[in-house]
Amino acid sequence: MEAVNGLLTGFGVILTPSNLYLCFLGSLIGTLVGVLPGVGPLAALALLLPVTFTLSPVGGLVMLSSIFYGAMYGGSTTSILLNIPGEAASVVTCFDGHQMARQGRAGPALGIAAIGSFIAGTLGVIIMTFFAPAIAAVAIRFGPPENFALMVLGLVCTLFMISGSTIKGVLMMALGCLTAAVGLDVVNGRERYTFGSVDLSGGIELLAVVIGLFGIAEILSNVETMAKTTLLADRIRGLWPTLADWRASWRPILRGSGLGFLLGLVPGGGPVTAAFMSYALEKRIAAQPERFGKGAIEGVAGPESANNSAVAGSLIPVLSLGIPSNPVTALLLGALIIQGIQPGPLFIAQRPDLFWGIVASMYIGNVFLLLLNLPLVGLWVQFLRIPYRVMFPVVLLLCVVGTYSANKNVFDLWVMLGFGVGGYVLRKLEYDLAPFVIAFVLAPLLEQSLRQSLVMSPDGAMILIKRPVAAVLLAASAVLTYLMFRRRTKNEGGLS
Amino acid sequence: MKWAGIAYALVIALLSTPAGAQSDPKAELAKLKPKDFPTQPIEFTVVYPAGGGMDVSARLLAKTVENLSGDRIIVNNRTGGAGMVGHSYLATQAKPDGYTVGVIASLLWGDAMLRAQGRWAYTDLEPIAYVNSDALIWVGSTEGPYKGMSIKDIVNAAKEKPNTIRVAIVPGSMWEYILDQIEANSGAKFLRVPFQGGGAGITALIGGNVDIAQGFFSEFRGYLEGGKVAPLAVASGSRMDFLKDMPTFNEAFGSNEYLWQLVRYAVVPKGTPADRKAYLAAAVQAAMKDPELIAEYRKQGVFFDPKLQNSKDLAADLNAYADVERQFYVKTGRLK
Repeated sequence: MEAVNGLLTGFGVILTPSNLYLCFLGSLIGTLVGVLPGVGPLAALALLLPVTFTLSPVGGLVMLSSIFYGAMYGGSTTSILLNIPGEAASVVTCFDGHQMARQGRAGPALGIAAIGSFIAGTLGVIIMTFFAPAIAAVAIRFGPPENFALMVLGLVCTLFMISGSTIKGVLMMALGCLTAAVGLDVVNGRERYTFGSVDLSGGIELLAVVIGLFGIAEILSNVETMAKTTLLADRIRGLWPTLADWRASWRPILRGSGLGFLLGLVPGGGPVTAAFMSYALEKRIAAQPERFGKGAIEGVAGPESANNSAVAGSLIPVLSLGIPSNPVTALLLGALIIQGIQPGPLFIAQRPDLFWGIVASMYIGNVFLLLLNLPLVGLWVQFLRIPYRVMFPVVLLLCVVGTYSANKNVFDLWVMLGFGVGGYVLRKLEYDLAPFVIAFVLAPLLEQSLRQSLVMSPDGAMILIKRPVAAVLLAASAVLTYLMFRRRTKNEGGLS
Repeated sequence: MKWAGIAYALVIALLSTPAGAQSDPKAELAKLKPKDFPTQPIEFTVVYPAGGGMDVSARLLAKTVENLSGDRIIVNNRTGGAGMVGHSYLATQAKPDGYTVGVIASLLWGDAMLRAQGRWAYTDLEPIAYVNSDALIWVGSTEGPYKGMSIKDIVNAAKEKPNTIRVAIVPGSMWEYILDQIEANSGAKFLRVPFQGGGAGITALIGGNVDIAQGFFSEFRGYLEGGKVAPLAVASGSRMDFLKDMPTFNEAFGSNEYLWQLVRYAVVPKGTPADRKAYLAAAVQAAMKDPELIAEYRKQGVFFDPKLQNSKDLAADLNAYADVERQFYVKTGRLK
């Protein structure tokens, strides 16, 4: 009942012309930011932060958060059309989304991404409405041992994503972990693998890696085949998902929503991890896993839903406890602090107008985004007719601008270029790049939580088994690894 | 409300300006403005990510300076390497033409002494104005085995049962150095659980994964109000206005060496033309007398170090603080 009253308060706050306008504006900017490769929600929020000074706290927050979830809608567009992710969270959407586009089914792919995003975003905010404080109280108990076990499970799930040679996939995961080790040691603060370089001392920027491996490398591959003038291999077949598409998608959408929400809650989680995990899950439980990577609509529906509900999930710790779980929510926290508001455990009780205002705006924002994105599907599909020689210089420029805008550091552009060339070579050698990225994302959290656990444990590694949640997660990882290798060795007749 | 606000502004104005010198800061500033400057926006460089404590301080400052001077100011976060990338940029790459102002924290000194490897020194950046300070505070939980204990009780407990009390630290920074001092002076031993930043440690404290967390007031204020954490001691020269009952480490241990605070100040790269430097200094200093900005900073829970606020020679006073830090590094073998 409290939640219903709260929500009514929220709608009371939000249903003013100016707040609705800000919500719409944020949705629009978010979609745009999502569509542009490289330009991510973090850079956009940092850029627009000063604008919110002049707005009311509710208005400012509503706009910033709608940019965040709006970007998750738009992120799939270039993944599907160009095989270049708009956001790090849309990397996996490339695998099947772009294949669908090549088969002339860009419309259904974009449509299911938008509708899946809407369903997941709305489900996420419904859960948030009724359970935010309770969930926050549980999430905060999640300590280093539980985090470690979760990261292990994440890496194990990645094994299921590997297409082609298992040994090559595992190699790429190892390489991802090693690359992530560059920078400051999490325990003693010393530099490692930096070769005395100031630029490497902070580690390698995820965005530069993703844009390099998936953006630049894709452009390089396409330049090779310039003979074809446009991306459109076939005629466009249908703009909307068919009944068969729906039948295949509704379960992945629901599963993605749940998974994404949970992963959004934990520190270091969020949309990127959520999308990868959802893809791995769908591939694992699919009746014909071999369809994945060849245009399976489940591979678009699941991850695109997961990254949206992860946004709702990640807003819970920041709004109900003042704890940001990723850089974007840290920025939202900063925006609140600049307004003179310090979120903490009393935030919901002290500022019901703000908390419920933001929650209510998310219901409305998701509707705005659906209305914005569905009509755009027809327009985006026409983009496929644009010739390569016009399209790719523009995309390349956006990749450069986007990567630079994250840290304003020119070194990141070299990283992007290096990973672009490296990614191109690895593709030619048929190495799978996705396991590299997910290992790169998970490894720092894995290392930190393991070392934290061991430091705080009186009896060494036993802490990982004595804490029930951690133990269950680790047991699940062990079972999955066993299943995975049994299936692989059966299929491949050995590990080659 | 309105009258209270005016009275408050008046009190602040009386406190902060010499008697009789009451005048319009905008007009004062306009007199100092060089003819050819600025013709483009001025960048306030922040070396930490948007949304953090440093960023919030810088953005509030930028807003006030913009308002007083009429110049366009852009806050730019040049992040990476825990501040190292931005510090190096300011010291070695930023043009000394007045269009770059660093709004930085005293973590610059540690970076310069321990990590810059002689490529640059903190003296490559010239201080123009003091902004504010934050002192490191230890907090305990209001639940669990250590509730209700004073800082002395806790150190004693860590002496009797070494390696049992878990303290959240941020590796390679003052969160760790203060533990070095306490352990060396008392013979106690703590378990050091590493986190990336003070806020993550506070979260772990609430979740029961550590016993002591260290942080700045703004990082745990929400939990203090919610009755979840208890402040233990602060590593500053005197008690905090907003937590009068909390002792300083120096009081508790009868010492004067526990001084771990973050000093935020504005700098320009060495070689910035004197007239531009003077103008920028005047602009930031005028902003720091603005009652609204002061009130905003106070709301955030930062404090103002009187020594730096009334400093006649800011560079010298800051260098004195930096030298204390240098001595600690030399004493502990971190610096030769």
